[in-house]
Amino acid sequence: MFMPEPYQIHQRLDALADCPHWQRLTEGYRNMQLIRTFDKKAVNLQRTGQLGTYASCLGAEAIATAGGMALAREDYFVPYYRDHATQYLRGVPLYQILQYWGGDERGNAFPADTPASRDLPNCVPIATQLPQAAGIATKAKLTHEHAAVLATCGDGGTSRGDFYETLNVAGVWQLPLVVMVNNNQWAISVPGQLQTASRSIAHKAEAAGIEGIRVDGNDLPALLEVLDYALDKARHGKGATLVEAISYRLSDHTTADDASRYRKASELHTAWQHEPIARLRHALVNARQWDAEQETQWQQHCRDVVDDAVKTYLEHPPQVPADMLDHLYATLPASLGRQRQTLSRQQGDPHA
Amino acid sequence: MPYFTLPDLGEGLQEAEIVEWHVNEGDSVKVDDLLLSVETAKAIVDIPSPRDGIIGSLFVRNGDLIHTGEPLLAFAGDEGTGSQTVVGNLESQDDSDNQDHFVIGAVTEGHHFGGATPAIRALAQHLGVNLEQLRGSGPNGTITFEDVQQNANLKHSHGDSTPLKGVARSMAKTMACAGQQVVPVSLFDQTSIRHWAAHTDITLRLIQAIVAGCQAEPALNAWFDGSTLSMRVVEKIDLGIAVDTPDGLFVPVLRDVGNREPDDLREGLDRLRHDVRNRKIPAKELQGATLTLSNFGTLGGRFATPVVVPPQVAIVGAGKRFIQPGINNGALFEDVQLPLSLTFDHRALNGGQAARFLAALLADLSAPPM
Repeated sequence: MFMPEPYQIHQRLDALADCPHWQRLTEGYRNMQLIRTFDKKAVNLQRTGQLGTYASCLGAEAIATAGGMALAREDYFVPYYRDHATQYLRGVPLYQILQYWGGDERGNAFPADTPASRDLPNCVPIATQLPQAAGIATKAKLTHEHAAVLATCGDGGTSRGDFYETLNVAGVWQLPLVVMVNNNQWAISVPGQLQTASRSIAHKAEAAGIEGIRVDGNDLPALLEVLDYALDKARHGKGATLVEAISYRLSDHTTADDASRYRKASELHTAWQHEPIARLRHALVNARQWDAEQETQWQQHCRDVVDDAVKTYLEHPPQVPADMLDHLYATLPASLGRQRQTLSRQQGDPHA
Repeated sequence: MPYFTLPDLGEGLQEAEIVEWHVNEGDSVKVDDLLLSVETAKAIVDIPSPRDGIIGSLFVRNGDLIHTGEPLLAFAGDEGTGSQTVVGNLESQDDSDNQDHFVIGAVTEGHHFGGATPAIRALAQHLGVNLEQLRGSGPNGTITFEDVQQNANLKHSHGDSTPLKGVARSMAKTMACAGQQVVPVSLFDQTSIRHWAAHTDITLRLIQAIVAGCQAEPALNAWFDGSTLSMRVVEKIDLGIAVDTPDGLFVPVLRDVGNREPDDLREGLDRLRHDVRNRKIPAKELQGATLTLSNFGTLGGRFATPVVVPPQVAIVGAGKRFIQPGINNGALFEDVQLPLSLTFDHRALNGGQAARFLAALLADLSAPPM
């Protein structure tokens, strides 16, 4: 078991003095800053008609970054839709993430030479990715792979049947699966206290007979410890784990939402006091692992990287209409031949 | 001049109201600088600048209603064209059926535009007709040749139509909805108020009479749900008072009129009117009426059939006082009459209930002053 006292919220940032992994933490910090810069830009692109509806990851940077850093090359990642950092760390270029949210299917063709090529694309329907993750884990177990599957969902997803079904088979078949819930307190406008009467989301592991762990989702080193443990356990055939990472959704649900209509400004203000990036920076600066000059340089670097990604995204020629047939059929049915011919004469339009 | 047009800000929402511009013509802006705030049906949204540049012209003002694809502003000069989705010729922006239907969460409704063939689009462009404002008469709401021609003729002889905004717009929607649902029946009557003192507060007397009417027939003070055909008689009388303003019709709610002293009521009434005129009335003060009074007689008119707004079941209208000859023991005298109209929803009430209410109301008005 990970902790002698189950379901206590695991934290690490306040006791880092003996940490032997400073390099890993500064790398994590850099990734979190980069993805926040990207996130802000993506929202602005949507606001100016250059991107479709977008789900911000503001406040989820530590969770998604920890996932990307803890996964090994041979593992599988099954995301929901706030995992831009994990996808980036698995090898998806930022411009492809923009393509996906711009409605361009080519954003889902992850580069073949990266770990991302083993992963599933974003899943927008709530929790339907979880049984698929259990399926991949079953395959990994049956073929004796030394690999784990990490699947994510939000707190709203834990009310779905798919979630319980997944935990159930993960327990009874002892699958190499880690389900990480980003409990960010809000499922669109439904607050946590209306989501479940369970003592915590992690407690739902009890019914499936698997281990449940609660961790501070704004604490990168704590998340890394939990995921290292759970993924290693999975790879060694020692069973599945449910991880509840407790965070706060600092953004609207998506760009089509306005959280100020149902959420108190004071609550949001309080949540900002615990946001993951400032907390990690504070710890790194205290330990003399990071300074103001590095910060300035890195922020400029993030802006340059994101601007490059936006440029690549915007300069990409739009998809052509014939792609909708080409991406669907390996061999085109004869009856669609003429349609394909007509479509192939048409230019594409930007979708967003 | 490169244009910046209103993007689709929330999963197929086709219109937005300008809340506030944060820049002026002539200002220099950088990419991602805040330009303006708009309000859609779902959210208040801040829109940043898509590029560096100098603001040339603003095409809409605070409070204006704008549709996706219509220009917000033009950048000055001609330096570069920027992204195709944002900046370009206005002609290329009318492709309004190219929408994003990607959804996380609730599904939104489609829009009203029924579509048109390329030839109809070309005709419309030639004649300067905005297809978005047409209701198609063809199959599935498609726009026909005749629709476009008719609209062009109208435009030629009478100029452009003006879309309703704000209060007027919501009144139009509310009334259309009420008109489709309610089965209205009206009763008219009048009563002598010759005995009233010169400075009688007519509105207060009317409110007291309505309370008396509700005591005689409580079912008039109720909410009716047409979809479930269920009725909820309400004990407390929260009276909607129709107030005419230059911006349109407001109906603020005077709470619990059955249990308040006249001075208190007058003070509450004055405060509501004052707040409405200054446009400072909170939205909740306009909600939850159980019955409505329209005292249109202060402006003119004798009898009327005012519209019952669901879930309410009735509305009382008071007309302008008038003088008519009265007879007392065979002798003529000059009488003062107050005309009253009562419209009720015949789904929720029957004629007997309405008549009993009106009779009690009239009896109270003709009683000697308290």
